[in-house]
Amino acid sequence: MSLKQRFLTSANLLFLVVLAINLILPDTIEDDACPLFLTGFLVIVELLVLVGCGLAKTPKTLHVFNDVGSFVYAICGAWTLCTAKFALMNQSLFPAPGTVFAQLVADWDKVLVNIGSSSGIIVEGFLLGAVIAIPLGLLLGWNLRVGYAASRVSSFFAAIPPIVYIPYAIALLPTFRSASVFVIFMASFWPILVNVMSGVLNVDKGIIDSAKSMNVSTPTMLAKVIFPATLPQLFIGCNLALCFSFILLTSAEMIGANAGMGYYVKNYSDLGDYTRTVGGILVIGVVISIVTYAFNRLEAYCLRWRKR
Amino acid sequence: MSKIEVRDLTVEYGEKQERTLALSQVSFDVASGEFVTIIGSSGCGKSTLLSVLEGLHEPSSGEVLIDGVPITGPGPERAVVFQQYSLFPWQTALENVAFGIKQYHRELSKKECRTQAKAILSKVGLSGFENKYPSQLSGGMQQRVAIARALAADSEILLMDEPFGAIDAKNRTLLQEFLLDIWEGEPADEKKTVVFVTHDIDEAIYLADRVILMSSHPGQIYEEYKVPFARPRNRRELNSDPEYVKFRANLYDALYNKAIDAQDLTKAAL
Repeated sequence: MSLKQRFLTSANLLFLVVLAINLILPDTIEDDACPLFLTGFLVIVELLVLVGCGLAKTPKTLHVFNDVGSFVYAICGAWTLCTAKFALMNQSLFPAPGTVFAQLVADWDKVLVNIGSSSGIIVEGFLLGAVIAIPLGLLLGWNLRVGYAASRVSSFFAAIPPIVYIPYAIALLPTFRSASVFVIFMASFWPILVNVMSGVLNVDKGIIDSAKSMNVSTPTMLAKVIFPATLPQLFIGCNLALCFSFILLTSAEMIGANAGMGYYVKNYSDLGDYTRTVGGILVIGVVISIVTYAFNRLEAYCLRWRKR
Repeated sequence: MSKIEVRDLTVEYGEKQERTLALSQVSFDVASGEFVTIIGSSGCGKSTLLSVLEGLHEPSSGEVLIDGVPITGPGPERAVVFQQYSLFPWQTALENVAFGIKQYHRELSKKECRTQAKAILSKVGLSGFENKYPSQLSGGMQQRVAIARALAADSEILLMDEPFGAIDAKNRTLLQEFLLDIWEGEPADEKKTVVFVTHDIDEAIYLADRVILMSSHPGQIYEEYKVPFARPRNRRELNSDPEYVKFRANLYDALYNKAIDAQDLTKAAL
């Protein structure tokens, strides 16, 4: 790809346009930090876009960086025009982008602590659920008769929205943290178990016959044949579990926590500090996107043998 | 003593009224180092017969003896090549073969298995494809890997269930020649005993010392034909040999008439 293809892109043009809007148009609201922090944010994004476009190996990756960059600039442009530049909306409910970024930078230690608290609970609950559900699902699914009954039972439990456990778990367990871990565990365990079991039941008979014809032992059969054969469905379960976990944890944190990103958002919106509320929402979005992206990369790596 | 003895094998599927007889009183012997093909129209029970030999399916009555001992399940003296899906899609060609070796030779280390697997893959002409996943290989190459895995097991008996059934005509011819090259290349006392199921007449004759023709509904042995043509066989010469033409026509008639019978039976059942 030529330099022109790599760098003469809509994202880079939009970057210049939005930067110009930010720096040249005067602000109608009084906040000196505002244009400075928006500039900082735009420059960071632009650096990422430039590095991404410079290193992109295929036109497809190049387009992804370019398109995502363009979206971010377009949103920032519209946002700052509606708020800081022309004050078209209520200033307290709709803070200017620069104000939000400035607030996040000022709050960075608090934000990090809250992210850490939320992630710790998710990792603990999710891993606990996965570590128990995966071997159990393999064993139950492999023992057909038990598996049949177990799949009915677990379908029942999987059908219960885990959010309903929250008040009970908070009442039942001593700390909010243990209650949250329990709820995340419930939210992860059932979808993973159900998917692993149905994955085992759906393993191609040809594969099982092929393994049997080679005289494999039961542990080898489960670990080296059934488990990898179940991986695609296992990842479906894990994705579902992860998705549930985020929704649940942030909800739970809004109900009864004194830490975590859900708490941060709820607390400041109760106090009428919508700058921090918007900032918190954005941070939650970024954190979940990064986790999901990392997880998808892991999935793509583990399932690299699949036909694309 | 025969390598494989099949005695009065009967296999029934289903319960009570729905019960169908897949195999009825099937008996035959296979000598050590013999290449036998089993041919019949689809639904004649030839695959069922092979899965009983593999130890994957228990017969309703009758038994299979190997070296005089009745089988109770899969065993290390038998290796199997299936029509498809026999390779593990999450393992590379090398890993598939190495996994097979490990199952038959538990005493070998992982590294030794890989070294042997590499040697066998190069023997089947797949050097350079060791690290490809099955989904990255053509159907013919996948079957070569499957054959490599079965050969690597180093078992005395090779059971092949329509291994070239899903391969296009040209590659099927190549694979048949490749299989014969390997089988004929072994010293006489180490020659594998092969039972090869197919629905392709030319394949059945070209490969075999003996062709067993099965009739359907229920699956029974209709006739056995000793193949009189000397090895190594040249397909082109064979095709123009009047003896071969006669032999083939004879087999074709038997198969065709049985196929018609089977169809009439199905119609009557409907």
